[in-house]
Amino acid sequence: MQRMVIQRIFIGLVTLWVVSVLVFVGTSVLPGDVAQIVMGQSATPETLAAYRAANGLDQPLYMQYATWLGGMVTGDLGISKAGGASISSLIGGRFGNTMFLAGVVAIISVPLSVILGLIAAMYPATWIDRVLTFGTLSLISVPDFFIATFMVLIFAVNLGWLPAIAHISPEDTMMETIRASAMPLITLIIVVSAQMIRMTRAGILNVMNSPYIEMSILKGVRRNRIIVRHAFLNAIGPIVNVVALNLAYLVSGVVIVETIFAYPGLAKLMIDGVQTRDLPLVQACAMIFCGTYVILIILSDVAAILSNPRLRNPK
Amino acid sequence: MTDSKKIMPTIDCVSSMDREAIKNGLSRGASRREVMGWLMAGGATIAAAGSIVSSATSAMAATPKKGGKITFASDLHGPSDTLDPGLGTSTIDYTRARTHYNGLTQFNDDTSTRPELAEEYSANANNTEWTFKLRKDVKFHDGSAFTADDVIYSMGRHYGDKSTSVAKTLVADVTEWVKVDNHTVKAVMAGPNGDLPKILATSNFKMVKDGTSEFQNPVGTGPFKLKSFQQGVRSEHVRFEDYWREGANADELEIFAITDKVARTSALLSGDIDLMQALDPKAVPQIEAADGVGIWSVASGAYIGIAMMSNSAPGNNPDFVLAMKYLQRREKIVRSILKGQGTVGNDQPINVAYGPDFCADLPIRDHDLDKAKFHLEKSGVTEAEIQVAEVAPGTTDICLLMQREAQKIGLTLNINKVPNDGYWGAVWMKTPINVTTWNMRPTANVMMNLAFAPTAPWNDSLWSNDRMGELLIESRAVTDMGLRHEMYCEMQKLIHDESGMIIPAHRNYLDAKSDKIEGITRMPLGSLGGYEWPEFAYRTDV
Repeated sequence: MQRMVIQRIFIGLVTLWVVSVLVFVGTSVLPGDVAQIVMGQSATPETLAAYRAANGLDQPLYMQYATWLGGMVTGDLGISKAGGASISSLIGGRFGNTMFLAGVVAIISVPLSVILGLIAAMYPATWIDRVLTFGTLSLISVPDFFIATFMVLIFAVNLGWLPAIAHISPEDTMMETIRASAMPLITLIIVVSAQMIRMTRAGILNVMNSPYIEMSILKGVRRNRIIVRHAFLNAIGPIVNVVALNLAYLVSGVVIVETIFAYPGLAKLMIDGVQTRDLPLVQACAMIFCGTYVILIILSDVAAILSNPRLRNPK
Repeated sequence: MTDSKKIMPTIDCVSSMDREAIKNGLSRGASRREVMGWLMAGGATIAAAGSIVSSATSAMAATPKKGGKITFASDLHGPSDTLDPGLGTSTIDYTRARTHYNGLTQFNDDTSTRPELAEEYSANANNTEWTFKLRKDVKFHDGSAFTADDVIYSMGRHYGDKSTSVAKTLVADVTEWVKVDNHTVKAVMAGPNGDLPKILATSNFKMVKDGTSEFQNPVGTGPFKLKSFQQGVRSEHVRFEDYWREGANADELEIFAITDKVARTSALLSGDIDLMQALDPKAVPQIEAADGVGIWSVASGAYIGIAMMSNSAPGNNPDFVLAMKYLQRREKIVRSILKGQGTVGNDQPINVAYGPDFCADLPIRDHDLDKAKFHLEKSGVTEAEIQVAEVAPGTTDICLLMQREAQKIGLTLNINKVPNDGYWGAVWMKTPINVTTWNMRPTANVMMNLAFAPTAPWNDSLWSNDRMGELLIESRAVTDMGLRHEMYCEMQKLIHDESGMIIPAHRNYLDAKSDKIEGITRMPLGSLGGYEWPEFAYRTDV
C-alpha cells in the first residue's frame, strides 16, 4: 500500500513535468506572442521589440522554459508577462475563491448525490427512482450557462433576492458571503450532483447483478441490507472515481460559471493567460490543475483499495 | 458672452411637458443635433434651439450630490490590466487612469481641450513650440507637490528604445521636453503641430510622479485614491480629499468587468452595477423597456471598416475596390445591424463628430448595383475571400450583408470567420481582405495620420498616396480656417475615392446606466462619455 502510494506520487510528478512541457509548447505555437496581444492594434515593430526585451521574451524558448522551471522548483512562480504583476499575487486570492467554491459544493453535493443514488438503487423502477432519473437526466442535458443565466433572470432580475454577480471579499460577514455566492453554488451543485447520482445508482445496480448478491438474496437477506452492506462497499471504487473527477472539474473547469457571475477564480485566469499568451501564468495554472487531478486520483485509488481488499494484491 | 446668453431662451421657456421630453431625450442618448431637430420642427430658430438644448444639458448637470458609491462594469479585464498610463489599451485601463491621474489638458464634450494640470498653454507663432504653465496647488496622493520634474519624467517615458509606451508615435515629433522653471515646461517640436494639447489630453499621457517605476500601487494626482487593485478582479477607489479642484462627487468607486454581455446587462437590470460599458445593440429594446435604467449612446467617429490590401489581388485592382464600395447598403447597416446606434459612413474616417474638419460636401456613396456590376466586370474578378472576426459588434453581419449583395452582381464572396483571439497579430494587414475597427481619435489629423498616411504602420490597406502625405503635414501648420477646411476636404475625398478601405458605418459608443447616476460626460472619443465621468458622475439617491 505504502509502496503503491509512493509510486503514484512519483508518477504524478512525472505527469506534472510532461504536462508543463506540453503546455509550454502548446501555448508558444499559438499565433502571436504576449507583446502582440497586449499591444493589439496599436503595436509597432519598435514597441514590440521594446516590450519583448523588457519582459525577457527575446530569449530562445528553451531558455524561457528553463528559467520558469528553475523558479518553479524553488517556489518562485515568476512575473506575469502581460501585466507585470507577480503570479503568486494573481493566483493567491483566486486560489482561495476556487477552493471555497469547490469545497462548499463538494461538502453539499457528495453526500447528497451518494444518498440520492443509493435511494434510487434501493427502489428501482418505483416513482422515486423515476423522478430522480428523469431529473438528473434533464439536468445533465442542460448546459451550465443556461442554468446560471436562467437563475440570474429569476432570482436577481425579476425577484431581486440575490445579487447577479458573486462578489466576495475577506471582509464580508458569513451571511454576505453565502448570499453573494448562493447562485454559483447552486448552479454547480446541480451540475455535478446530477452526474454523481446517476453514477452511484448505476454502480450499485451493476454490482447487484453479480452472483454473490444473488446468493445473499437466496439466503433471504433484506434488499436494503444487501445494498448498504454488500453492494455499496463494492461499488465505492467506481463511485469515488466519479466523485474525484467531478471535484477536479470544480477546481479547473468552471470557467463559464466564473464568467457569468464575475467570480474571480482560477479557471478564468488560465483562459486569460492563454488569450494573452502569458506563458508563466498558463504554466502556473496548469500545474495547479494537474496537481489537483493527480492528488484526487491518488486519493480515490487509496479509497477504492481500502474499501475493497481484493485490490491490495493485484494479480 | 454671459450677457448675450441672458437674452437667449433657456430650457425654462418651454412647457414643462416639452421640458421633460427634452431632458429625457438628452439623458436617453439623443444627440444635441437630434433634440435641436425636434425643436426646430416645432418652429424654433437654430440659435434658440441650440440655446435651449445647452441650458437643458447644464440644468441636468447643475446639482451634483456628494456621497455614495458608484459601481462600473467594463467588458474586458484580465492579468494585463495596468495602472501604468503608458501601457493602457482597454476601456478599463483608461477609466482607471482617469480616476487616478490627471493630464496636462482635458477634453470637453466637443473634443476641444481645456486646461487641467497646466493652467495655461500656448504655442508660438508657427506651432513649433508649446509652453505649458503648471498649476501650483496640485498635490499627489502622498502629499507631495506636483512640479515640472513630474511632467518631464512622465513625458520621458514615451521616448527611447526601451520605452514600451503604446502612444509613443503620437508624440514622436516633439524633439525635446524642456523644464523652464519649477512650474513651466516647453515642448520643442520637429515640425508644426497645433494638435499637441489634444494629444496630451488622451489617456496614455496622464501625469505620474517623478521616478515612478512600479505600478501596482502608484501615486497620482487624480480625484480618487487607490484602495485596492487586483488585475482581472477589481479595483476600489476612495475620494481624494486634498484634490486641487472641487473633487469627485462619489465617496467610492468600484471598477471591474463582467465579460459576458448578457450577464453584464442582467447585473445592470438587477441594480448590482450602476454603469455598464458596451451594450449589445440587440439589447437596446430590453434596456428601454426596463424601469430605472437607460442607454447612453454617443455619436462618434469610431468606425468599422473592410480593408482590401493594395499589395495583393484583388485589392490592387481599383475597379474591384470601387465595385465593393458601391455594394454597401449603408442606411440599412445603421438601421438594422447597428439598431440605429450609429451613423452612415462614406468610405473615409472623418464624420460629423469631428466638427469643422468634416467635409459635409462630399456626397455619400449610395448603394448602386449597376455601377458595382460595371466596375466588377471591368476588374474581371469573380471570386474573393474575406477574413472576418467580430472586432466590433455588427462586423460579421455587415460582411454577410455584403456577401448577399455581391451575389446579385455575380461575385462569389467567401466569408472566412476567424477568432478574435490573436486577430490583430495574425490576420489584420496580413491577408488580402480583412476587417478592422478604429476608435475615434482626438483630431481628424491624428486619425488620418494613424490610418492613412503613406508611412503609417497601421495603414490598414497599405494605401500609399504622396499627396495625402503632403496634405497631412502641411495642414498642421495652416492657421487660416478656410484653407484648412479645403485641405481636409481634399484628404477626405482622396481616401473616399482611392483608398482600399470600405467604411460603411460609424458606430456610436453604446453603453447603459442606472437612472440614479447623473453627470456622465458625452465626450465622443471613448466609451461612456470618453472615460471622463469618474470625477463628475454623482448619485441622485444619496
